[in-house]
Amino acid sequence: MTVHITRHGDASDGTEAVGSRLSRVDGPAKITGAAKYAVEQQLDGLAYAVLIESTIAAGKVRSIDTEAAEAAPGVLTVLTPDNIPPLKTASDWLGTPPPDAPYCPLAREITFSGQHVAAVVAETFEQAVAAAALAQVSYDEVPAIVDLSDGNAGDGIPIDAMTKAWGDAEAAFAAAPVRICAAYNTPREYQAPMEPHGLIARWQGDQLTVWEPSQWLDGMARTYAEWFGVPFENVRLVSPYIGGGFGSKALALGHGAVAAIAARMLDRPVRLVMTRPQTFTGYGGRAATRQTVTIGADADGIIQSIVHRGVNETSIDGMWVEPLGSTTSIMYATPNFSSRQNVVRVNSVVPGAMRAPGENPSAFGIESAIDELAYEVGVDPLEIRLRNYAEQDPHAKKAWSTRQLREAYAAGAERFGWSKRSPKPRSMRDGNQLIGWGVAAGTYPVRRAYGEAMVRILADGSVEVESSSIDMGQGTYTILAQTAAETLGVPADNVVVKLGDSRFARAGVTGGSRLAGVMTGAVHKAASAALDELVGLAISDPRSPFHALQANTLVVTNGRITSPRGEGPEVSIAELLASVGRDRIEAKGDTMPANSTAEERYKNYTTIAMALPHTEGDYSRYSWCAHFIEVRVDEDFGTVRVSRVVSALDSGRLYNPKLAESQWKGGIIMGIGQALLEEGIVDRRHGRIVNNNLADYLVPTNADIPDIEVISVGIPDPHSSVLGGKGVGELAIVGVAPAIANAVFHATGKRIRDLPITLEKLI
Amino acid sequence: MTNQTTIHLTINGHQHELEIEPRVTLLDALRDHLGLTGTKKGCDQGQCGACTVHVDGQRVLACLTLAAQVEGRAVTTIEGLAEADGTLHAVQAAFLEQDAFQCGYCTPGQIMSAVACIREGHAGSDDEIREYMAGNLCRCGAYPHIVAAVRQAATEVAS
Repeated sequence: MTVHITRHGDASDGTEAVGSRLSRVDGPAKITGAAKYAVEQQLDGLAYAVLIESTIAAGKVRSIDTEAAEAAPGVLTVLTPDNIPPLKTASDWLGTPPPDAPYCPLAREITFSGQHVAAVVAETFEQAVAAAALAQVSYDEVPAIVDLSDGNAGDGIPIDAMTKAWGDAEAAFAAAPVRICAAYNTPREYQAPMEPHGLIARWQGDQLTVWEPSQWLDGMARTYAEWFGVPFENVRLVSPYIGGGFGSKALALGHGAVAAIAARMLDRPVRLVMTRPQTFTGYGGRAATRQTVTIGADADGIIQSIVHRGVNETSIDGMWVEPLGSTTSIMYATPNFSSRQNVVRVNSVVPGAMRAPGENPSAFGIESAIDELAYEVGVDPLEIRLRNYAEQDPHAKKAWSTRQLREAYAAGAERFGWSKRSPKPRSMRDGNQLIGWGVAAGTYPVRRAYGEAMVRILADGSVEVESSSIDMGQGTYTILAQTAAETLGVPADNVVVKLGDSRFARAGVTGGSRLAGVMTGAVHKAASAALDELVGLAISDPRSPFHALQANTLVVTNGRITSPRGEGPEVSIAELLASVGRDRIEAKGDTMPANSTAEERYKNYTTIAMALPHTEGDYSRYSWCAHFIEVRVDEDFGTVRVSRVVSALDSGRLYNPKLAESQWKGGIIMGIGQALLEEGIVDRRHGRIVNNNLADYLVPTNADIPDIEVISVGIPDPHSSVLGGKGVGELAIVGVAPAIANAVFHATGKRIRDLPITLEKLI
Repeated sequence: MTNQTTIHLTINGHQHELEIEPRVTLLDALRDHLGLTGTKKGCDQGQCGACTVHVDGQRVLACLTLAAQVEGRAVTTIEGLAEADGTLHAVQAAFLEQDAFQCGYCTPGQIMSAVACIREGHAGSDDEIREYMAGNLCRCGAYPHIVAAVRQAATEVAS
């Protein structure tokens, strides 16, 4: 075993090390149009599929008249539940063995509006669209449960795994001198990535290639393999660039099954891309939620008890739990706590993961409630958070690995000018605009997993990194190049990172803000092994120019090899490889336990069952943030504009601050949308989402967003990842909506507990 | 009806002859028939701006334009913005420097809009940039950096 020196850079030694502000290495491809996204592959013989969806929310498909569609020009086939070959049911993302039952991605039994019922495949996209309009579907409709407020929705199913309790929360609440109790609601929200979901599927014999935007190539390959009963190795997923996912592109979905079936039936590649309206029902957005938060406190605002009850919607036959007590149970110190949660079945697509599932709506409840408590006891909203600061994880009863939340409050307040805030509601104004300042905190657990990477040092001294992990804008290409460059001692532009192909070294899901921590660790390990081999060759190979030195270590800097004391020659990596007759050094590294079996490795990368708990061992690991937000509310019209944001965030060590800041700002902006704009509106007659497009489901536009200032207060957290980072991607959305609601209260004196905060709620 | 028609398009200075149905949009002609996939399809109904291209120098939504409508007119896409030797347009370079994108899917449309926004004289202030770039959605939330990039490029173009 050779010893080598690696630089753990703070960027002071150059512009490319881990921690530096290197620009996106995939940037040039994206700004010139050269970046080919999954469905943009140009394949010979491509056929085009278009989905037909149910127009009722509950009932049965009585019949589908396909005669006119089949007779339309260019039509190759019309798939319906009657003629589509069934697949096998696949295991879920935990790897739970599935029932031995057929799976049909086109439905006869309708449980929500927008369910796939048929598909048309034609020679051209235009022909498929035109023919799909000719198919006549008739239904036997029954009444639907349209949403949580439906009279037939009921109280739902208790989810015992969500129950958290310590002390005697009810008794302590009853005995508390100050009591707050309020209900907080969040509507259906949608990920709405700019790139719609879709794929190209191609069979060659029993080998399936799927070009599909994916947050989890290996997990989706497993599902396709299980559906079709072919070995995992027979399925190749390709996803070089992903046009946004926000949680929605991690799983293989019904439309993918339809396209793959059509490709097999027709023996030619088939492309199927959802229309924008279909993206509102082809997979689930964030579930609508209801929470009640009660806080009992003493006269100084010191919390004695928190009682929390939550409900989220799920579908008729699927299960989604949005963990509503997640932030509630850890943000503040309290001697007594109780949280329970139910889920309610409604006629909707099964909801799914959307940026910080659980923590996000949970924070809307608790971070609004603590603000209400602050006004009730007459204490500054920032001060009350410090008075109830949790010095350890109140639920796990463990020390925080790192918690720079106090530092976040201090840095954010200072920069924002919080001390100049006039405490009384409606006490700050500019003409007819009421000005409000609000604060709220956010958090997200550090989700950890094992990772794997391939690192190659090539004959010309360049380096190649391969992983089936992905870059949907977080900066994976860039930070892995930085990690390999720093570990090996080569310039970052000598490193080529290849991602998004399931033939590469395996990777688990890109979700839960875990990828950067997992993959920098894996690349660091693989690159360290490659460096060991390189230095070992240089020292021990008789043909090496360093052989005569009898050194026990060498240093690689800027792609050149020297002895630490500067004796002997200086040669480039390419020269060294040439002298010892090698055309490459290749090292695959993974961070799994050394004795892991092949089965465990497969499970690690294709399920989430082997993720490491964030409270494992002695520590509780979370990222933290504090948002300070100014709103301006038009007194006459009730319109709310966010005019200023200062957020201080603790994501541990940042691998690339330039890219992390972008992701933080993106989370804050999505939070502004959640607070003020975003809401799936249900037509109560038909159980349909009526605003299923980007003009009616309002996401923030450039004109809605002010300057946003983000401040990093993190410190390296050795308990959270190999290189000291914590999660970035999901953290920053958490706490934005309550900070805005709190600012709106400060501006207007009106407490809005139902998102989004639209003008009719204020006038 | 298959009803093919022959149309002649001038894309980024190059002549193309296509045998396509008259109902093919400019967006699908670019992406599916010419392999110019830099222009993106985000909504296909004129709501997101991802398909923004220039027709005779004006910004146009390619998803709401039939290919046949631009016969004889000069179409510029993201692939035609840099110089022939690969030198980036000032807006492209500013987008890279300011990290004005993440996933990159809205980016070609943002850049085409930004070039036109500056040319139209609508990059005079941050607020004006925000207003005249508001037709291009970015779900990753790169807006503050897009404003910074347009501001930077506008200064460079003017100098």
